[in-house]
Amino acid sequence: MENNLPEEQLVIRAKQGDRTALSQLVIDYSSRIYHLGLRLSGNRQDAEDILQETFMIMVKKIGQFQGKSSFYTWLYRIAVNVGLRKLKSKPRRYDHISINDPDFERISAETAHEWPQLDFEIINDSRFRQKLDRLIEQLPEKYRTVFILRDLHELSTEDTSRILQITPSNTKIRLMRARNFLKEHLENMLKAEVLT
Amino acid sequence: MKLNEDLLREICEYMGSDLNSAPCKIIREHMEACHNCEVYVDKIKKTVEIYRFADQQEKIPDKISKKLFACLNLDDLTKTCDQ
Repeated sequence: MENNLPEEQLVIRAKQGDRTALSQLVIDYSSRIYHLGLRLSGNRQDAEDILQETFMIMVKKIGQFQGKSSFYTWLYRIAVNVGLRKLKSKPRRYDHISINDPDFERISAETAHEWPQLDFEIINDSRFRQKLDRLIEQLPEKYRTVFILRDLHELSTEDTSRILQITPSNTKIRLMRARNFLKEHLENMLKAEVLT
Repeated sequence: MKLNEDLLREICEYMGSDLNSAPCKIIREHMEACHNCEVYVDKIKKTVEIYRFADQQEKIPDKISKKLFACLNLDDLTKTCDQ
């Protein structure tokens, strides 16, 4: 098969049963879907299950893909649905914390202290990364999914809204709250890292 | 304070407004004097950077990739595609 075929061509060929094209689509997206599953579920076993189930559905249903949305929006939607279904089938590992809008009054009133330059050695430390994982798991799914799609996978507001079937303004509100929640807790974590 | 256009764009993104809209003009005026807003948005940016960096360190294990292709009955093709 020709290398570097545009995705549209790969999808057309995969729909016609071309296994090489199908295989290329799996190669192109498996890492992203694995990461999505990992962040949604918080563990490697579930991420692997989400990965496998997503691509099994893709292989089974690609013939029905009509191209009304982009291929990746379609695939992400499958993956998010698989992931959320998996989450629902399991007891929560952490109690969710209430998520609020940023306290703009406090932000404007207090003296703002900048964070230092990021120390990537600290972030790469396995203990710190576990804390990052725990923190994101505490976000309720509806905020976590938006943060993952918008900020970690860098999808647009419009694509994220289509995947989650919510309005763009809802996507923005959820993203703002998720970012604010993570920032607030990360601030405490970073302070603790500097002090210990 | 010099107005940071990127910062303004970021804040307007939250609000779904374009840079020439009325809310953005108000923000622009405010941010010319407000250090706190700049710090707040910088922290949000760093939060996202930290999570992106952490994600980049986590690679999909080889054995999981291989299992995936085997389960999709595509494992005979992976070498061709990788080349």
